[in-house]
Amino acid sequence: MTHPGELISAYLDGELSRSEIDQLFGHLAGCGRCAVEMQELQAVRSAVRSLPLLELPLGLVPEADAEVVPLHRNRGFLVGAAAAIVAVVIAVAAMVTPSTAAISVEELNSRYGARASLDPAFGPAKVILPQLMDTLE
Amino acid sequence: MTESVPLTWEEVARVYGRKIYNFAYRLTGNGDDAADLVQEVLLRVRKGLASYQPGSFEGWLWRITRNAFLDDVRRRNRRPTAPIPEEVDRWELASAPSADVEYSRISLGDDVQKALLELPVEFREAVVLCDIVGLSYDEIARAVAVPVGTVRSRIHRGRRLLRESLT
Repeated sequence: MTHPGELISAYLDGELSRSEIDQLFGHLAGCGRCAVEMQELQAVRSAVRSLPLLELPLGLVPEADAEVVPLHRNRGFLVGAAAAIVAVVIAVAAMVTPSTAAISVEELNSRYGARASLDPAFGPAKVILPQLMDTLE
Repeated sequence: MTESVPLTWEEVARVYGRKIYNFAYRLTGNGDDAADLVQEVLLRVRKGLASYQPGSFEGWLWRITRNAFLDDVRRRNRRPTAPIPEEVDRWELASAPSADVEYSRISLGDDVQKALLELPVEFREAVVLCDIVGLSYDEIARAVAVPVGTVRSRIHRGRRLLRESLT
């Protein structure tokens, strides 16, 4: 049996076409090893994305230092607002996602929440799933 | 994807400085090396902006950044990196681990950073550009100048090696 290993990582990154997703889940339905690998690679991916975003050392990039004060002052609000937006989008996306995708809200949150939490400027646009885009257009 | 070009070098430094620093830190595991790399990248950006052709600015920026990193690795050669291993399907070599493997300890950042540094450079930069910088596979392919299929393979193989280090 050929195991579609690369499809697993690409799926976790939202980089598969619809036909590739169908191919992957068709395989996962009958292959426990790949199902386990999906869980393990999801954990690895989340661990890397959970590494803290480091502050620039003061003075290294003076042009960026001016940003430090407002960044700190507003961070709680920005992160909270970003998290709220992401949560709403994820919840809506989960509702409109076909059930065959078999993705829980928690999985979506771990998949997309990390990127969003790294950078408040990382807008919710990339979080919107293709299916949701169809309904919005 | 065509993006507008930041107007000034100062704006590039302000908007991207922190991202470049995090990219550099996760690749080198060292704050001093990361700081040196940020300064080198911004110097190259400053020189290159004059001749920059409108296109994918992020692709251009991250290409400069990873090239600066690789130049640094070659120049100092103080951390020889392992060659890319041949693809080995570990499933064929060992029985599958049980599904209840305990993953809580891999949330420790030090372990993850150490495991990243053990990856071959090609895998490390692909994983960091994806999971730390947040680039798409297409953007990584442009930055690294390889086909998207190669990006997909490197990220997957990198994560498999991370899994082996962390469990």
